Amino acid sequence: MAKVTVDGRTVEVPGTANVLEACRAAGVDVPHFCYHPRLSIVGQCRMCMVEIEGVPKIQASCTVPVRDGMVVLASSEKALSARNATMEFLLINHPLDCPICDQAGECKLQDNAVAAGLPVSRTVEPRRQFPGYDRTDIGPHVIADMTRCIQCTRCIRFCNEISGTGELSLIERGGHAFVWTHEGKALDNEWSACAADVCPVGALTTKEFRFRKRVWWLDKAKSVCDGCEIGCNISIEHRDRTVYRFLPRVNLAVNDFWMCDYGRFRAEELNGNDFTRPILRAGGKARETHWGEALDAVKAAVDAAVAKDPASVLVLGSARLATEESWLLAQLFKGTVGASQVEFHPDLGPERKIKNPAVPGGWLVGREAAPNSRGAEAAGVARAGKGSALARLLDGSYTPEVLYVADAEFTSRVSDPKFVEALRRAKTLVVHGRRTNPLTEAADVLLPVASLAGKEGTFVNVLGLVQRFQLAIVPPPIVRTDLEVLLHLGKRWGVFDPQWTARAVFERMKGTVPGYAGLEWDSAALAGSDPSASPTSAYDVLLERRLSNPAEILASAAEARGARAAGGEK
Amino acid sequence: MSGGANTPVENLPGLPPVGEHGALSCGKELSFPPAAEARFQKLLTRYPTKQAALLPTLWIAQGEWGWISREAVDYVATRLGLSSAFVWGVVTFYTMYNRAPVGRHLIQFCTSISCHLNGAEEVFHACRKKLGDLKPGQTSADGKFTVIEVECLAQCDKAPAVMVNGDDHARITLDNLDAFLSELK
Amino acid sequence: MSDFAPVLSARFGKKNSSALATYVADGGYESWKKVLAGSKTGEWTPAKVTDLVKASGLRGRGGAGFPTGMKWTFVPPKEKRGDKPVYLLCNADESEPGTFKDRILIEKDPHQILEGMMLASFALDVKHAYIYIRGEMVHGAEILNAAIDEAYAAGLLGTNVLGSGMALDLTVHRGGGAYICGEETALIESLEGKRGHPRIKPPFPAVSGVWNAPTVVNNVETLCCVKHILDRGADWFKGIGRNERNTGPKLYCVSGHVEKPGVYEAPMGIPFRDLLAMCGGMKGGRKVKAVIPGGSSAPMLTGDEMMDVPLDFDGVAAAKSMLGSAAIIVMDETTDIPKAVTNIAKFYAHESCGQCTPCREGTPWLHKMLKRIVAGQGKKADIEMLMQVAGQMGNGMTICVFADAAIAPILSAIPKFREEFEAYVAKSASPGFEQAAAAGITSEVAERTAEGMHS
Repeated sequence: MAKVTVDGRTVEVPGTANVLEACRAAGVDVPHFCYHPRLSIVGQCRMCMVEIEGVPKIQASCTVPVRDGMVVLASSEKALSARNATMEFLLINHPLDCPICDQAGECKLQDNAVAAGLPVSRTVEPRRQFPGYDRTDIGPHVIADMTRCIQCTRCIRFCNEISGTGELSLIERGGHAFVWTHEGKALDNEWSACAADVCPVGALTTKEFRFRKRVWWLDKAKSVCDGCEIGCNISIEHRDRTVYRFLPRVNLAVNDFWMCDYGRFRAEELNGNDFTRPILRAGGKARETHWGEALDAVKAAVDAAVAKDPASVLVLGSARLATEESWLLAQLFKGTVGASQVEFHPDLGPERKIKNPAVPGGWLVGREAAPNSRGAEAAGVARAGKGSALARLLDGSYTPEVLYVADAEFTSRVSDPKFVEALRRAKTLVVHGRRTNPLTEAADVLLPVASLAGKEGTFVNVLGLVQRFQLAIVPPPIVRTDLEVLLHLGKRWGVFDPQWTARAVFERMKGTVPGYAGLEWDSAALAGSDPSASPTSAYDVLLERRLSNPAEILASAAEARGARAAGGEK
Repeated sequence: MSGGANTPVENLPGLPPVGEHGALSCGKELSFPPAAEARFQKLLTRYPTKQAALLPTLWIAQGEWGWISREAVDYVATRLGLSSAFVWGVVTFYTMYNRAPVGRHLIQFCTSISCHLNGAEEVFHACRKKLGDLKPGQTSADGKFTVIEVECLAQCDKAPAVMVNGDDHARITLDNLDAFLSELK
Repeated sequence: MSDFAPVLSARFGKKNSSALATYVADGGYESWKKVLAGSKTGEWTPAKVTDLVKASGLRGRGGAGFPTGMKWTFVPPKEKRGDKPVYLLCNADESEPGTFKDRILIEKDPHQILEGMMLASFALDVKHAYIYIRGEMVHGAEILNAAIDEAYAAGLLGTNVLGSGMALDLTVHRGGGAYICGEETALIESLEGKRGHPRIKPPFPAVSGVWNAPTVVNNVETLCCVKHILDRGADWFKGIGRNERNTGPKLYCVSGHVEKPGVYEAPMGIPFRDLLAMCGGMKGGRKVKAVIPGGSSAPMLTGDEMMDVPLDFDGVAAAKSMLGSAAIIVMDETTDIPKAVTNIAKFYAHESCGQCTPCREGTPWLHKMLKRIVAGQGKKADIEMLMQVAGQMGNGMTICVFADAAIAPILSAIPKFREEFEAYVAKSASPGFEQAAAAGITSEVAERTAEGMHS
């Protein structure tokens, strides 16, 4: 550790930290562009200039390792005028297109121009242009506009050091230098949109979000990606009941600063419900109905079946349900109703990976294509193996009276008509659904439910961490969350109260569900960090809002650098 | 799974056409002929890392094929275990790797300060005019000449200095420009 | 002065001077043999060679004038560096406008350089040394490669040099055309096969340079001096030159408006007046208007300031410029200083590596402003703005000193030749930006200044 005094405030930081990190730890915001805690230090934007006592020349703070007893003047006149100069140099060629730039509102160049720039422009020279390299697709998700680029090389370093795919490079040199892929190759890796995240300006933006919404109109909800078992912390960015994008939220233990493109671009998928009311299907004819009639029908069918044989009711849970929902499912059907078969079948999806230096091996790997198989299991829903009820149903050796499917998308096989035909052999098929698919089309009772954005609860990720996701947008009227459906159904047996919230269920179950003992619904441990004001400087959340020990991120940044240095530079 | 850096552009609708700063295609697969391969192999023994051989390997490539095409970049990148983007970044950082075929005589006029003081710019302009109003970097219609402006050639005592391909020429002035050009066959 | 016999350039005029045979006939490689033989008996140790170089007062001939012996001592001792090899890099990326001494050393007497490198390698425990030669020196690279082949064949290089048991390899590495690779950390990056971006220091190359190993980068002429110090001793070397801090023979590159431009060897500290006389005076007998004494990065001095300046590190520094690579660019009274400065500004705009914002953006900006002024589109305030913009680029604002080099000609020329710049703006067709904008002519200016951006 080293004691460093910044503008009169003394802080203790790890000996491997640099002066920029020490300044931030001391609460002094030193503007910067090229520094990022997970990327190598290049010191080339020259924005983070500070004075250091005993050093005659002005210094880029990110390039100077701390020394015990160091005295930093981060706000001296010399430091401020150096930053003025850098801002002026950056702006002489930057286009004045903030009104049509998607980065506006979360742009570091805007922020730093306000914080450290001059109010006037002195240049009359024509601005640099990159004909053919503006507003151009460079990959499946990213659009590049090199007129806006400030050559900080964060995106290049992301592709070299994090994704390891190396698609981007600086092309040309000096004032002509710009970032591009090699001709004929695309910026195409599993995390390509993170390159746009780390871009401090509007040079790299994502196609999916481009021109959709001004960022300052967006509300942010803390959520957890349900694309795989990693459970990347995300911010659901929404407005007027519409989800516009996902951004990763920093979680040093899980997704660090990143998320994969697959997860990120599921955002739009959360919008819309195909069903606005419960549907009853009889004799090949479907009709919309009200919840009362639909749930009464479910109860009647279940009661009749259980009276004959408890094994004639098959309940299929899902690794996509919140632990609270799975718990209600298990409590109701296993406990109250006495059905013997309550199980779930997680899909093994394509492997997803997230680079995280805190994880042994450096990569967090998600194999299951659903977020919460561990939660479902803990809540009492059985992980189906060989000889499961579903397997017997599929091979024709078992035909349930009632098949209750708590998630119409519990497996990707639901799009296979043969699979659905087999499920349809049940006398009564009950399905929770949001989107039309062969299974919802076959249901006798279809119960319309909200998307991830419309509900709350907890997931248990691949590391066994319980993570809470919060409500982003209120579901459409009449549509209910899975939790509400189960509560209303449970009320019909007199065991649940529809007034219960997800939190109330959490409190009821946490004493008995493994891994939940002692957890606090409101705790930061469950909720993770706040969404950042800008994906560009997501780490600000940790440093500025004090949700986490600032030393933690400094240490982790310094450690990651050390590991990289030890591994040999490329 | 995505294909990483090697996803061909054809699979991605809307990718840019070859830009002004992009690598041009030569339209054929390239690989070193045996003599060049031997030099390349020898090169690899001179450095502790493969990457260090990049600049000299590019020189071999340029020597073989005259210029650095997109295919040459891909080939060199594969041989040295680097990404194509990285190699192209290196190619474009340096001025001496040709990014398009050049004429038989690559005439390089130094216009830095000592040559400037001796009227190099005028000679440069006159030379381009003589060869058919060539723009800097343009190759004459007969494929014989390409004229470019370069920085100091370290021949300041022989200003204005000119280099043709690898050969040094001293004191090329408006007076002897014709004679100089007529010697280039 | 007249009793000074050329040292470094002594063999330039000889026939076949680049061949091993003529070099050996002139007493070449005697020091290398002597040191290798003495290393067995203990008469010669690496420390002894280093001490000799230290005692000679040799300062780096590449530009900064850093004491060579001291630079060598920054390499961590074997106990500290462990298994890491030490690399010696000969900086032959001579690109500073006005400089052409290394080219002549390479082309005329390559074995002199090789012997210097061998001796330095002995002192530094180097097993593999590289010569980074600029790409433009096509023949120079060929000559060096031929010389190295000869040296291998003669057993002067290889796994068991002259039977001493010492191994030494030498490799020529040709650059690709980038001025910045003369900066030692950019040279290292370039040698590693990357874009030539200067590195953040510390760590300094002596501790962690090429391939993260301790590295010493020495200029061609510096290494040649090492050979002569080993030949004739530190005292002899120290005896040449103006004083204890500025010792040895020196190659001066004189170009511009002199009668006989060329490389001249003289004792360190020769007054400019004497050097000018060696060059046969000014072309056409004209007056000296301005001189750049150390390559285009050095601040410009007026003819009057220059005349009696002793041409060594401290002498030129006292005159508020720098000796740099001893590239002396002489400009006569007909020279258009603003145009000359514009030419230099163009060079730096073209050669900036583009890493650091102030340099990447500032160098083209300065060039555009100067171009506008000499194109008759400037206004008086532009001159002040040039000074201000240049003033905010140097002194630590960038990773390397390229930006400091780029602004030196502007910051020195404007105060000294202000009336020439003012004359340009006085006859300017443009009455100033505001009025120009009102008159709708800015787009024309824009077009004109945009021209040549890609030159």
